[in-house]
Amino acid sequence: MLRLPAVSRALAGAAHSKGSISTTNNVWTSVRASSNMVEVFVDGKPVMVEPGTTVLQACAQVGVQIPRFCYHDRLSVAGNCRMCLVEIERAPKPVAACAMPVMKGWNILTNSEKTRKAREGVMEFLLSNHPLDCPICDQGGECDLQDQSMMFGADRSRFTEDKRAVEDKNIGPLIKTIMTRCIHCTRCVRFASEVAGVEDLGTTGRGNTMQIGTYVEKMFMSELSGNVIDLCPVGALTSKPYAFTSRPWETRKTESIDVLDAVGSNIVVSTRGGEVMRILPRLNEDVNEEWISDKTRFSYDGLKRQRLTQPMVKDASGQLVATSWEDVLTRVAGALQGVQGSEVGAIAGGMVDAEALVALKDLLNRLDSETLCTEEVFPMTGSGTDLRSNYLLNSRITGIEECDLLLLIGTNPRYEAPLFNSRVRKSWLHNELEVAMVGHKVDLSYSYNHLGETTQVLQEIADGTHPFCKVLAQAKKPIVVVGSSSLQRDDGAAILKAVSTIAQNSRAISGVEEGWKVLNVLHRVASQVAALDLGYKPGVDAIRKNPPKVLFLLGADADCITRADLPKDSFIIYQGHHGDVGALMADVIMPGAAYTEKTGTYVNTEGRAQQTRVAVTAPGIAREDWKILRAISELAGVTLPYDTLDEVRRRLEEVSPNLVRYDDVEEANYFKQAHELSKAVNQSLLAAPIVPPQLTVKDFYMTDPISRASQTMAKCVKAVTEGAAAVDEPSIC
Amino acid sequence: MAEYANVVRRAVGQLGGHGGVKGFLLQLFRVNDIKTGALVGVDKYGNKYYEDNRNFFGRHRWVIYTTEMNGKKTLWEVDGSMVPAEWHRWLHCMTDNPPTTHPPEPKKFLAQVHQINLSGTSNCYVPYSTTRKKIHEWVPPKAGEK
Amino acid sequence: MLSCLGCPVLSRVLTTGASRAPVMVAAAGASRTSVAAATTTTSPPPPNSMTLVRYNSTAQQETPKKTKFGPLADQDRIFTNLYGRHDWRLKGAQQRGDWYKTKEILDKGVDWILNEIKVSGLRGRGGAGFPTGMKWSFMNKPSDGRPKYLVVNADEGEPGTCKDREIMRNDPHKLIEGCLVAGRAMGARAAYIYIRGEFYNESSNLQVAINEAYAAGLIGRNACGSGFDFDVFVMRGAGAYICGEETALIESIEGKQGKPRLKPPFPADVGVFGCPTTVANVETVAVAPTICRRGGTWFLGFGRERNSGTKLFNISGHVNNPCTVEEEMSIPLKELIERHAGGVRGGWDNLLCVIPGGSSTPLIPRNVCDTVLMDFDALVQAQTGLGTAALIVMDKSTDVIRAIARLIEFYKHESCGQCTPCREGVDWMNKMMWRFVKGDAKSAEIDMIWEISKQIEGHTICALGDGAAWPVQGLIRHFRPLMENRIEDFKQTQQARA
Repeated sequence: MLRLPAVSRALAGAAHSKGSISTTNNVWTSVRASSNMVEVFVDGKPVMVEPGTTVLQACAQVGVQIPRFCYHDRLSVAGNCRMCLVEIERAPKPVAACAMPVMKGWNILTNSEKTRKAREGVMEFLLSNHPLDCPICDQGGECDLQDQSMMFGADRSRFTEDKRAVEDKNIGPLIKTIMTRCIHCTRCVRFASEVAGVEDLGTTGRGNTMQIGTYVEKMFMSELSGNVIDLCPVGALTSKPYAFTSRPWETRKTESIDVLDAVGSNIVVSTRGGEVMRILPRLNEDVNEEWISDKTRFSYDGLKRQRLTQPMVKDASGQLVATSWEDVLTRVAGALQGVQGSEVGAIAGGMVDAEALVALKDLLNRLDSETLCTEEVFPMTGSGTDLRSNYLLNSRITGIEECDLLLLIGTNPRYEAPLFNSRVRKSWLHNELEVAMVGHKVDLSYSYNHLGETTQVLQEIADGTHPFCKVLAQAKKPIVVVGSSSLQRDDGAAILKAVSTIAQNSRAISGVEEGWKVLNVLHRVASQVAALDLGYKPGVDAIRKNPPKVLFLLGADADCITRADLPKDSFIIYQGHHGDVGALMADVIMPGAAYTEKTGTYVNTEGRAQQTRVAVTAPGIAREDWKILRAISELAGVTLPYDTLDEVRRRLEEVSPNLVRYDDVEEANYFKQAHELSKAVNQSLLAAPIVPPQLTVKDFYMTDPISRASQTMAKCVKAVTEGAAAVDEPSIC
Repeated sequence: MAEYANVVRRAVGQLGGHGGVKGFLLQLFRVNDIKTGALVGVDKYGNKYYEDNRNFFGRHRWVIYTTEMNGKKTLWEVDGSMVPAEWHRWLHCMTDNPPTTHPPEPKKFLAQVHQINLSGTSNCYVPYSTTRKKIHEWVPPKAGEK
Repeated sequence: MLSCLGCPVLSRVLTTGASRAPVMVAAAGASRTSVAAATTTTSPPPPNSMTLVRYNSTAQQETPKKTKFGPLADQDRIFTNLYGRHDWRLKGAQQRGDWYKTKEILDKGVDWILNEIKVSGLRGRGGAGFPTGMKWSFMNKPSDGRPKYLVVNADEGEPGTCKDREIMRNDPHKLIEGCLVAGRAMGARAAYIYIRGEFYNESSNLQVAINEAYAAGLIGRNACGSGFDFDVFVMRGAGAYICGEETALIESIEGKQGKPRLKPPFPADVGVFGCPTTVANVETVAVAPTICRRGGTWFLGFGRERNSGTKLFNISGHVNNPCTVEEEMSIPLKELIERHAGGVRGGWDNLLCVIPGGSSTPLIPRNVCDTVLMDFDALVQAQTGLGTAALIVMDKSTDVIRAIARLIEFYKHESCGQCTPCREGVDWMNKMMWRFVKGDAKSAEIDMIWEISKQIEGHTICALGDGAAWPVQGLIRHFRPLMENRIEDFKQTQQARA
């Protein structure tokens, strides 16, 4: 902010001499200096920093990168690798830049003889017991030790003693350990205890016999465990499924979005030769920081199995046989032409992009049908999905870091949205966030106040008779999060009403400003928000009540509707990418593209529109979903008015402009109105306890067609239930 | 003079040896050669084998392919693999004994009907892939199974 | 050696002292200026200037400068039951003057006690020699609601050192009273005595003494009737040398792995259980009541300036009568050995070298031993340190390379494994040292191990890396020809065998 006048002045007076700019700079410096800043020098260059800034951060401000191994922005400072030693002028010893706060007037010498000597010494020590097996190491090419030894190490070795060797540990089917390579930076230990919230990893032994491990051999049981692979600066922890498959310089990287949960983690898809080799996280401070869940990271092998690669139809004997696109498209178009209105219905699944959703909706609307449903239920009584703020995580994920009280209702965020949960844990750890929960007691990796699992508790809080209301009343910035799973119940509307009442009451008591959002819904599937934005009906009740003759399943694999719910002669069309529940009951199968194979729009639970990008082509003769629908519409005589992706997106914008404002969250704030409308709900709460479907870590791994097809995820389930030894594979090295 | 007479005699022989002008032209376009020689034998497919020791070694034995073999029109599309095994050895000078005079011993591995090489046709042999399948497609369950 | 806040200070003094000061031991008077220069230029918290001023204004006028130090008169001994010849329990201790008018000392207030300690010029007895008065006064910042703690470092693990053991075994009440006085001086709520796990008898004696003191109302609620509440707890360690480092000790008390913490924050800000803490050596704490009782100037009267007081010296190794003895600071090393330890085995001429301050200080050869005084500054000048004043005497029968190799093996075993230089470097040095013992090395490797030790020194979180590097440096500094001969001999035997 302080910069702005100076910059504008400098811009306005572009013709002025250099002198005028330097004077404005002086003014700026003096302004900053008065606001309690500390002046330090980096290699003689002055820089103003906040008091308490570490030497490393001060250097980063002037663009000097200090080498480091143990230091990581998001973890606590350990200061044990000693790689970041820098000389401070007139100080007798070099200091660890990552931990030492700067003092006024220090001159940090980042490239002095002493600094370089210290780095070289530390590097020599690190390499002395490192196996130097880079040619067979999976970290090769993205190894901090490799890079930094090139930059800062000596050019020859003088270590002639025997090297240490450490036994490898089996910590589950995801992470391969080659512990001889470990340089004991303890990043993984700190990640496990601080971010993941599991105290599984630690150090045993002393001195040179110190080892990182689990002490007793067990699985590193965390839903975020894969992140230690990225954290490990050497090849001690690498990805087991990715082992020996490709090198980082061989792969093509595509920036994309994860759709296996509703958080919409930002990912990078590494591909080689039309094959997804691995998935890595991409930095997005607003969504996933730099972590991703194990399901996101490791279920990519599900994209290569159980795929629908060519169209299929049922022959006379009821057997699905492969056929051509011409055949299926004419059959489907014929079936659609033969029906009108409510005789045709559609169900959209959890991983469908907004483009396909809008194409399907337009297609069915042209056939006079409004029976378009999503698999996930959302109560439609009251204001239903008319008010967008009803079904979003309005506070956003970053809002968790600002709030001081979080009430979770009927959700297990640890497995429904692991990255949301890690935010909660972060805030719980650093901001003293207080968490309370109504619903089944689960392990959330942080402590919380369990209020009970009955709906009665919910009612009491809503009525203000529960003791927790006192706590709620003291909160300055409360957040209430209700899990979408609890809204699937028959009394979902009543639960939502109670939650809305709680949220509205606590807002009134806390006196928080109007912009603060209290009520939040945490979704579980990626397509739900976009589908609701586009006007799909949540839940398949309409179809169950009024079974259509032709049912179009667009990636619907949650088993909401079975053959038994439909008339005997109904015609089921399945369009999707995996042979799962939906394909099994279909008469016609049209192979679509998975999220790595198409450019698609997804809206996460916050209402943030993001897009996936084509990383590989769809397998066989599968096609992008909206293109299939467009082709059907032409054959059915109701041609959809778009031929390119841009035109589809223009149509999306017509329906709901927020869908194409990528990486942006559209504000929605109609809580008061929604609450008023919810008063009309006259449903009573059921007595059954609120139990989210994913209770333990074994429920986490296989939730959707992709992760169900994944062998890695199956191994995880096996390892979790039977122990890590059950999936132990003899490794080559 | 005698040389020229010899040339003329050979020219006349080549013209006549193929059955007149039509035969001569057919031979010229099919084989690009009009040499004549002694017919050593004809195999059961109709391939004719000639020998003329006036040509230097390597050109002294040749085959005029049949026009239809194993149901395939071979008037213009001829292939070296149309020569059956028993004639192959004579044609390639592995032996001087043609199968007409020395019929081959019947062997189990000798084909009853000689097959033309299928390379380059749609029926050609393709070795199975040794690489891992990148995509495993879904195999629908057999109807009736549950 | 590891136990004190001032360890970095010492290392600074050592390194700069090594570059500045002449190798020869200068006479006391001549050394003063250079030592003062070395210290003032290097330590950011300047040495206790207040003490100096006081000393200069009073002592210089009254008495001429002392030139002879030791022997200590019996009436000036602080530890009167060092050899366990008397009753160590409360009754016996009270007969020897412990717990005498402790209430009055406490009632005189924080400033008075601190002032006496400052006047006395007491320096930390754990090895680094940081001025105690100053260290304790760091605790007297305005309270922010957190309790303050005194932690007594009784994790005496340094090879050669056995002074705290004697105190706790035979004079535990001195320590407990010291805890109370020191705790009062820094406003501490409780004292934790972290005792080495191997000291079973000592810890049980100490616990008995604490129970007696509680029963007599000397500590606990309203200690000695002064209105000051003070508790003393004994915490037994599990036998790790590194837990003698103050921050590792704090971690260990908290129940974590004994691994040194990063400083800053210093324990005076964030210490045990996150509260302001001072870690002090047993001897430092135990002498505090006597200083208060007899006055800081009495204590100041011993030893050279800035090295005042009496000190427990442990003499072990090749002497006729190994012992622990209380002596005046600045006593000549030769006199100490001759008088109390019955001289070197086989006579003074049979002396090879002495490690003057516990295993982590560099050794000094005989010619230095002839004249050196046993105090902080003189030993720094001799490129070693007073450390814990544990003399390890080696006569000419010693294979000094093997002796140092064994010490490095100890440090290798006790390295906590946190910092890279210490974890990897000490292991490397250990492997090399054992090759040097055989002579299976190249003479260029002597320079290499010197360089490696320099790469470790000062690059680690705690001082264990320094302590492991110094013995090697001392060996190379004084016995390089011996090492080269060993290498040459080995080469010849190898050739002869071939």
